[in-house]
Amino acid sequence: MKKRIIWAVATLLSLVLFAGLPAWAEEGVTDTEIHIGQWGPQTGPAAAWGSVARGTGVLFDMINEKGGIHGRKIVYHTFDDGYNPARTLAGVKQLQEDVGVFAWVGGVGTAPGMAVKDYLMERKVPWISPSSGSLHWITPPNKYLFASYPLYKMEAKALCRYAVEIMGKKSVAMVYQNDEYGKNGLMGAKEELAKHGLSLVAEIPVEKSDTDLKPHVMNLKKSGADTVLLWVSPKHALITLGTAKAMKFEPQWMSTSTCSDYPYMNEISQGLWVGVITTAFGDGPDSFGPLMREYKAAFDKFAAPDERWGTFFTAGFGFAEPLVEALHRCGRDLTRERLVSELEQLQYFRGIMGRISFAPFDVNSPMCRQGQTEVFIAKCAEGGDMIQLTDWLKID
Amino acid sequence: MTDLLQTLLNGVAVGSGYALMGIAMVIIYKTSEVVNFAQGEMALVSVFFTYMILHTYGVPFFYAFPLAALFAVFVGCVLEFTILRRAKEQNVLGMIIVTIGLEMVLIGLVSWKFGAEQKVMPFPISTYDTLMIGNLFATTLEALTFAIVWVIMLGLFLFFRFSRLGLAMKATQQNKVAARLMGIRTNRVLMFTWGISSLVGCVAGILIAPKSMEPFMMWDPMLKGFSGAVVGGMTSIPGAVFGAYLVGIVENLFGQYAYMEFKSAVAFAIIVIVLCVKPSGIFARHYVKKV
Repeated sequence: MKKRIIWAVATLLSLVLFAGLPAWAEEGVTDTEIHIGQWGPQTGPAAAWGSVARGTGVLFDMINEKGGIHGRKIVYHTFDDGYNPARTLAGVKQLQEDVGVFAWVGGVGTAPGMAVKDYLMERKVPWISPSSGSLHWITPPNKYLFASYPLYKMEAKALCRYAVEIMGKKSVAMVYQNDEYGKNGLMGAKEELAKHGLSLVAEIPVEKSDTDLKPHVMNLKKSGADTVLLWVSPKHALITLGTAKAMKFEPQWMSTSTCSDYPYMNEISQGLWVGVITTAFGDGPDSFGPLMREYKAAFDKFAAPDERWGTFFTAGFGFAEPLVEALHRCGRDLTRERLVSELEQLQYFRGIMGRISFAPFDVNSPMCRQGQTEVFIAKCAEGGDMIQLTDWLKID
Repeated sequence: MTDLLQTLLNGVAVGSGYALMGIAMVIIYKTSEVVNFAQGEMALVSVFFTYMILHTYGVPFFYAFPLAALFAVFVGCVLEFTILRRAKEQNVLGMIIVTIGLEMVLIGLVSWKFGAEQKVMPFPISTYDTLMIGNLFATTLEALTFAIVWVIMLGLFLFFRFSRLGLAMKATQQNKVAARLMGIRTNRVLMFTWGISSLVGCVAGILIAPKSMEPFMMWDPMLKGFSGAVVGGMTSIPGAVFGAYLVGIVENLFGQYAYMEFKSAVAFAIIVIVLCVKPSGIFARHYVKKV
């Protein structure tokens, strides 16, 4: 009898104690918090792109101020990896294993992302919108990895198509950074030109450490190119333009979305960027859409005083939009599987980037994990203003 | 033929920037046998100081550049006095490690204070102005850099040959104990050495900044200047200049006529070859230390 009473009391106590616990036991989610992570270079050679991670932080501050998502505040974990893949992996592992991050968003750079891709996918941790347009994110596709940045290959195709079909250009050359970023662009340019019976008249590789680009520009000039695609960093784009100006070589310059921050590029090039044509993956920071105005108000309120309202800062908002939308759609029942399912159901979702659509996971269909497949083409005008030359272009 | 001459001219033009960094490194090495890997970042601090007084405070060029020179000397002296001199393990390897640490601290400081984004250095000469020599061209800034290298080289030659401080520096390098016994305040001499080296680095930085200015701008010129100095001989200023021109010319020729991908790496291949054939460098005398 005594034993039965002890068992009954123990059972009752267990019920009382555990009844208050939430039904979900997902890593990185509590009753009041969702833990989201991102890395970004705040120091080192790619630090100019560190504003992406800071932009995402301001978006989360804005959401938290409004009460969070279904009663949960977003706890944002970010760290400086210095664009060093070894540091990216160490930082991601530390946060994942010590804190327990629910999902990762953004993350600048192909090489840093590649260092953590397998680790995150093996642990089935969702990663949304790596901040680069590499083919690696979708070939092969991974169930938990959702890319939204348009592929560099697509951007190169769009620019070549515009140059040949609209501008009537015949001799296209390319200066490309000798890594995944540059080579993806090179692949796209070659494919698109081949469709028009053309080929690149010069392919000039640039190493990240190069500071003197005279031989590069000499080769460009010798090639007789009427159009030059710049698939390099903003710094190398400026050195190329400056050297070409000194050599009196003035083709039509075209470049990727990574150099589409016109006010910034125009300022640091002292006006040389005027006339350069680039692709763009989202609305400009000075566009008048209500969402962008809302983000600007959040920037004014939460960003550091010396922060600059530029393309990459707003990209930090844009890259996180699909995640935020899917979190809203999940409701209170938040698990990683549910998040993946909601992301897969996004169709033509439009924030400040182009339209984003995913599809149910199919290992044979890389595009099921490539959210944005459209860009528009724009031109830098006097004062760094943007002139939009085309509507959104969907590129396969 | 024009292409070849233009490539050679490009090599000399880019080599002038390397030469200034090489000279700055040699000045310190000559007196203390320390390879200063913080040389580029010491220059970086002075360049961003110059940018600040020109851009933020609107100081005219006429005053800004002398102020920058004074600041550079001050930075060099302070770093030697407060950090290098305090190092407990004052062997060569220990000091090199200290300079590597210093390099990281200085670049972090500049990134924190000024941000990582590219800046525009106000400069009296446009980087796009060109001088034509027949069919060949060079920018006015490159011509100015070339002239400044020779002025500095000549000035340093006269300084080391005829000035008391220059002679004291040479004496300190040859035998620190003997120099001290002769009444030379060797610590102070070392401090001035760092000051002068920092000044030369600052000149290099100010001439490089109009083309591209961001916290990592001095890393490549420092490495190439160091390569040039090793090739020419770490104790010879004319050797460092010659080595820097050699590096500039070879990398341009290699980029133009062989593989563009390995243009930058070729400088380090030159180091290996020269060190195999003549370990002290082309211009330096080979000393054998008796134990």
